Parts: sequence; structure tokens; C-alpha cells
Amino acid sequence: MESVSFVVNGERVAVDVEPRSLLVDVLRDQLGLTGTHVGCDTSQCGCCTVQINGSAAKSCTMLAVQASGAVIKTIEGLAENETLHPVQEAFSQCHGLQCGFCTPGMIMATVELLEHSPIPTVEEIRQGLAGNLCRCTGYVNIEKAVQSAASNLRTMRDRDAAEASK
Amino acid sequence: MTLMRHEDLRLITGTGKFTADWNLQNQCYAVFVRSPHAHARVTGINCEAAAATAKVLLVLTAADVTAARMQSVPSGPEIKGIDGAIIKKGTMPVLAIDRVRFVGQPVAVVIAETAGAAQDASELVEVQYEPLPAVASVEDALQSDAPQLHPGVPGNESLRFESGDLEAVDKAFSQSERTATLRIDSQRLYGAPLEPKAITVAHDAGRGITVVHTPTQGVLGMKAGLSSISGIPVEEFEIVSEDVGGSFGLRGGASAEHALLVLAARQLQRPVKWVATRSELFAGEWHGRGLTLEGSIAIDHDDKIAAIKFHDTVDLGAYNCFFGGFIGTNNLSVTMGGAYQVPALYMQSRLVLTNTAPVSAYRGAGRPDIAFGIERLIDHAATTFKLDPVEFRRKNFVPQNAFPYTTANGTVYDCGDFHSVLDKALSQAGYDTFEQRRAAAKQDGKIRGIGIGYYVEKSGAGGAPKDQVSCEFSADGTLTLHAVTGPSGQGHETAFAQIMGDGLGIDPLQIIYRAGSADQSLVGNGTGGSRSLYGTGSAFKNLIDEIINRALPHAARVLNANAEDITFSDGQFMVRNGAGGISLFALSKRLSEPQQHPGSQEHPLNCTAETVTGANYPNGCHIAEVEIDPETGVTDIIAYNAVDDLGNVISPELVRGQVHGGVVQGAGQAFSEAIVYDDNGQLLTGSFMDYAMPRAGTLLNVETDTFAVPTELNELGSKGVGESGCSGSLPCISNAVMNAFASVGAGPLSMPYTPARVWKHLQKHQ
Repeated sequence: MESVSFVVNGERVAVDVEPRSLLVDVLRDQLGLTGTHVGCDTSQCGCCTVQINGSAAKSCTMLAVQASGAVIKTIEGLAENETLHPVQEAFSQCHGLQCGFCTPGMIMATVELLEHSPIPTVEEIRQGLAGNLCRCTGYVNIEKAVQSAASNLRTMRDRDAAEASK
Repeated sequence: MTLMRHEDLRLITGTGKFTADWNLQNQCYAVFVRSPHAHARVTGINCEAAAATAKVLLVLTAADVTAARMQSVPSGPEIKGIDGAIIKKGTMPVLAIDRVRFVGQPVAVVIAETAGAAQDASELVEVQYEPLPAVASVEDALQSDAPQLHPGVPGNESLRFESGDLEAVDKAFSQSERTATLRIDSQRLYGAPLEPKAITVAHDAGRGITVVHTPTQGVLGMKAGLSSISGIPVEEFEIVSEDVGGSFGLRGGASAEHALLVLAARQLQRPVKWVATRSELFAGEWHGRGLTLEGSIAIDHDDKIAAIKFHDTVDLGAYNCFFGGFIGTNNLSVTMGGAYQVPALYMQSRLVLTNTAPVSAYRGAGRPDIAFGIERLIDHAATTFKLDPVEFRRKNFVPQNAFPYTTANGTVYDCGDFHSVLDKALSQAGYDTFEQRRAAAKQDGKIRGIGIGYYVEKSGAGGAPKDQVSCEFSADGTLTLHAVTGPSGQGHETAFAQIMGDGLGIDPLQIIYRAGSADQSLVGNGTGGSRSLYGTGSAFKNLIDEIINRALPHAARVLNANAEDITFSDGQFMVRNGAGGISLFALSKRLSEPQQHPGSQEHPLNCTAETVTGANYPNGCHIAEVEIDPETGVTDIIAYNAVDDLGNVISPELVRGQVHGGVVQGAGQAFSEAIVYDDNGQLLTGSFMDYAMPRAGTLLNVETDTFAVPTELNELGSKGVGESGCSGSLPCISNAVMNAFASVGAGPLSMPYTPARVWKHLQKHQ
């Protein structure tokens, strides 16, 4: 067993893990953060996407020991005090989820995508979500959700900027 | 802010509860040992090293299964074939006994304190195999000298089935000048719901109940299957299935893994958990499709269809499993005439066993395949005889005044308006101006094609005798609904709350839907055959009437009026003279007051309702426009237009979502997905790295609309929607690709239309 510590959703945690343990398994099984899902074993489906030090990463491609000292955000930590993240809201309002299994990973990938491309083109959305599979929605409403979230995020930013300049 | 669906909040915040998310106190972990051979004799299994490993609790092999007197995995009904012959079955043992018949078949299971320890020990189980020659395809399996899979199935042919009138069809063919034949392959697929199969079983010795946590499409079917394998009475099982990560036909019933976890949990008296890896599911979970249809059409001098016949071969995989037999028989033949008035129909299917994973239902389960078959045949005939594909369809459609229409093989379509649906779709797709777009694309060096798919499908008749629902009113005014059908993404919680909310004038957010709770004793169908909304939903519609009837005397008492002077509308009981009123919501809260006292009886409005409704006939016209880049073979779906007759639509947004998903599953089959075995039965597409799932951007533009011809076969007037997307998209996409090919002189090609295959095909015709 190895002892590792990291910050998860704002809280510092220390856990003993097997050297071979994947980060996703530690998040799910040892920390109880079961919102991060496992849909494959070849890093194709993206259900396990989380944020590590501010960037989206597939937590099934990483050993827990490699994440030592990292700042990790999972789907459970995305909403701020009961207030949903605009990407979460948009997925619901655009009906961008059905069974919901891929959704946490899709949302985490979208958050990253919109940080890099605040005004995403259709092509940027498709590339940004190329590592995430969905079997239910046909992606049509997921793409709509990404556009809608982008627009809402821009409005929020503009509003914040306007308030800051007052 | 209001979320769109009742289910959404937990799913977007990561607080949903899928099966692998459950962790029970003191649980241990299972890992399966699976066959690496497509066909082999098992001459011995040595579990000593595995059993002696630290943290290992139990290793089970076929001997333990036999000792526990477990039966085979359910193999489906006794379907009748030609001359009354009954289907001959190769049934699947829970663990391979002395032979393995496909790569991925479970041979042993190891249970240990940790998943890692179980995995390590599973690699120490020594299975002695003596490889046998394998048959990986239907063609090979039907050779006269083919290796035989099961002693009870000579020639590897499980059943030869027929439907329709061969004599009438032969006569029509002999009298027709124009006949055409086309072989259509609906290749083997893997349904791949995103949540991998997972099971946790805990035996509660105190209550004598075995609790099975698992994703399922129906708790009653799951219980029945578990009981049939284990011999344990149905009443001793409880199924827990909260969030289910997609089903598409794969969660239909109890599997070998379910049965083994039940056995292990009862032996160990500890909860046992198993979460499959995706790779083992690619090999070991049921596959779908695997059908070849050879269709022939005979056409009269006035362009009327005189007869259609199909000769099908159906790949069942290595064992008959519970739905496999239905697909190639009932589901292919019932709507084999499509949307057309065809005086003579005949189908013959050969159901064949091969050394591959068993095949069962996948979204549509034969319906998309026959829609694909018939609509490809129509277009092929139109191309061959230079008929306009639209006019040819119009000329042969079942006309609106012919409903109810009985097809030549005895299926009764209750209603429809195929001409209007087609017209709406053509207009939406800008069909008339297509040739201009084709010409413009040609200028850019691209090849455009347009294709129509007009499907008619028979939605699920249901296996249960009826669909029952019940409700419970709480003191805070919330209404909890109960029924059997469990969701796996369809939005049951939202749709049923909407039906009840609209009918009772209660805010749908006050209404909770619970499927398959342990304490309920309702009868009903699970999710499948697109029938939850019109089956269970219709029962809810009846429940509204029952609740209002029960509430009426209470309203009369509260309003101090005679019951006959009270009307109910928009959620309000009103006295006719306008003297007063009370909402049902307020009344229900008031009626729950006595409940707060000990010894009070149940809420007086709690009640049950039911409906008996069978299949109906959703239909629709989908039109795809594709563009092929001949330099790369890449095909884009430039535009996709769907107009579906789904009867009355309860939630347009949920319906659109179902259609999108179905269409893209069809597009996945058309362009990329294929399960491939080599000649020896080794699986070549064992992960998402080799099995190409559709990704974002599969559909560039999609417009879906509906044209409602309400059915009288259920209270809602709704038809099934879940499978329609696949049934529309397979034919229209294929017809569009073939239309593009034909424009440059290239003939038909089988799916999947991958860039490499399309490029090669076009090269041959240059």
C-alpha cells in the first residue's frame, strides 16, 4: 500500500492505495465519489473524465499514485453550493442526457472544452467531445447543450465584468 | 430554474445510483474465467492454486452448478417452424460443462475479498482445453461437413420457419415480367449500453430473500429468469434497479452471471459484487442483428407490386437464448410487406447456431432489419426498372381508406396515413430540389445521394397479461406512482408524471414515479418493444379516472353539495352553480389528515388501475441526404429529415430524444459498427478501439417532426417510439448511399459503409 494525498472537490484527503489502483477506482470505491463512471477499459468512452489541476483527464488512464498532490475536481464538486454549473443546467434543459451514464464525463469534458473555446464552432465541439461516447442521445442535443452553455457562460462573464467595472 | 426531466438533477450532479455504485457491507468480489477458444472440449479444470490464494473465498465451476441443480440459461419459447417442427435448442449452461462453444463463455468464477485478489486468482485457474474446429459464420455452419455444435441440433440448424403463402408468391413471380432480387446483410452488432453489466447479490437469511442489484428492463422478467435457472421461487427474489445506464434490449433477462452470483452469495452468506469489464462484455454479452435477408420482388405491368418474398438466415450464436428465436421469425415476418399493399407474401428463415456469442435483442430486434430489407428492395427495384422511388411507393402504399388493413401474411395494421407522412417528409427534406444540390456537390467533386426509408413496425405486444399501476398520496401532497416498467434513459419519471399531472391538475414536480419497488405486487411489462408509454402510460390514464371517481364523494362532502352537481376540470372540483370549488391537490392533502393519527387507514384516494393493450403500428418516413468524398471514401450525412406517425405524443422533447438516439444507432450500423470474428471464431472487435461507435458529429443536421394518426388500440392513442429511429435510419441512409453510388454507375454495397470500403467500391467502378 502507498499513501497518497490530494485535494478533491476542495477537500484534502489522504488514502492508502495499492500501487496498481487506478485513480477512478480510488475516487469511486475509497472516496465514495461514484458520480465518476467507468464505461470501458481502453480509455475510449470518457465516462471517467474529471479535472486534474484544472485540465480534463480520463481518470482511468492514471494511477492514483500519479495523482499525488494534485487538485482534482469531480462531477460532485462542479456545482457551487447548490447552484448548478451552467454546463450542468444546459445538459438538462437541452435534453442532452437520457440514461445519464455518460453525462458526468460529458459535462466535465464540456467544461474543459468551453474554457479553451468560449465561442465554440461546431467542429470544435465535435473535436472536444471526440473522447466521450454516448449511446442514447445521438449527440444532437449534447451539441445543443454545449452551445447553450457557452452562451450562458459568456453572458455570466459579461455580467461579472460589468459589475466589476462599476 | 426548472430542469427538463425529473431524473436529471441526480444524473447531472453525479448522485444517481447505477448498479456499480452500490457497495454493501462486507461485500466480496467476483471475477469470471472465460473461454479463449471458440470451440473446445474442456478436459479438466484445476482450481487448487486459485483457491489456495490469499483472500480467495470461493471458486465455482460447472460441478458446483450441477450440485446446486441449476438449470440452463432461459432459451426462449418453443417456436414452431415448417410442418409444425419445434425449435431445436442448444441451451447454455451457467458454466461450461465439458465443452465451450464461443470465445468469452464463462467457465469458472472466482470470489475473493478484493476485486484485485479475485482477478489475480482467476489467472491461476487452469482449464485444460482440447480445441475443436469451429464455425464462425452461418455459411460455414450450414456446410454438410461442418463441425456440429450441439448433439440435439443436427446440421446446426435450430429451426426453419415460414410465414405467408409460398404457392401464391411463386405464381405471382411466374406471371410477372419484372422481378428483382437483392441480398441484404444486417451485420452483427454489439448494443453497448454505456453502463457495463454489473451485479451485486446479497442474501438476507433472516427474511429468506435474495436481493439482486442489477440493471434490468423488467424486474418481473429478471425474477422469473433467476427462478427458472436456480429453482428458487420467484417470491424469494428482490430486484434493485435504480438508475440503468441504457438497455437497448441487452438487459432483458437473467444471465449466467446473475445465477452464479446468486449461488455464491447464498453459499458464502455475504454480498458478492461483479462489475464487468467492457472487454469481457464485447466477447460474452449478447450481440444483436446478425441477419441476412435475400429479398425478391415481382412487379405488375402497371407498377404494382405483385409479390415479395424473403429467404433469411439468422445467426443465433452458440446457444439459443431467450429472445434470439423471436427475431428471425416473428419480428422479421410480421411487417414484411412494409407500408405496401402486396397481394402475396412469403418468408422463410433458417435459424443457425455458430461458434460465436449468442444473439438476442438489440434496439428493434428484427424490426429495423426487415424495414431495411423491404425499403432497400423497393429502391433496388425502382433503380433496376427505372421507376421513380417516390411514385413507386405512392402507387403501392396501403391507402388511408383501407385501414384496418390485413397483410397477405395476416398482420392487421389498425391505422395510418402513409401518403400524408411521405408528403410531409418530402417537403421538409426539400426533396424536389435535390438534383440542384447534387449538381452543386458534383462541382465540388463530391457525390450526393438521397434516400427514403418508409418503415412500419409492430411495437411490443407485451408478455404480461396486463399493465397495472398504483398510486399513493402523501400528507404533503406528493403523489407517488408505481408500475413495473423501469427506465433506462427514456424518461419514464417525467412522462408518467406529466400524464398524471395533466389529468389531475397537480404540478408534475409533486409526482414521483417508482418502478418495480420490492413491496409492490403489480403485474406488467418491463421496458421493451417501445411499449412503456402506451402500455403503462395508458394504465395511468385510467388511474386518473379512478382517482377522480374516488375523490368525487369526498369533494361533495367538503363542498356541501350533491356529487351529481359537481364537475371536475383543470384539477378543480366545482359545484355547478358556482357556489364553490376545491382542487384535487387540496382535497388529497385534506384527506390525508386522519392518517396522522395512529391506527388510521390508508389514504382514500390510493388506488390501482390497469389496461390490456397489445401491439400497434408506428410508422414514418425518414429521408437522408449524404455526400461522399470519392477521394477518401468518407460519407457525411448532410441532412436528415424524419416524420414519424407515433400517434398522440405526450412529450415532444422526449420523443425527439428517442428518435435522435435511434437514428444515430442506425447510422452507427450503416457507417461504422460491426462485430467481426475471424474464420476460427476469434473475436477481432473486442473493444471500443476496434468497434467503431458513432461519435459527436454523426448527424450534421437533423429535423424530426411527427404526423399523428392516433391509434384506438390504447387509451392514450399513442404508438411506440423507442425503436422507430433505427427502423427509419437503416433504410434511408442505405438508400441514400446507394443512390449516390448509382449516380456514378456503382452498384450496391453491404454495410458498414466505412471510408475504406466505400473508397474501394468506388475504385472498382471507375
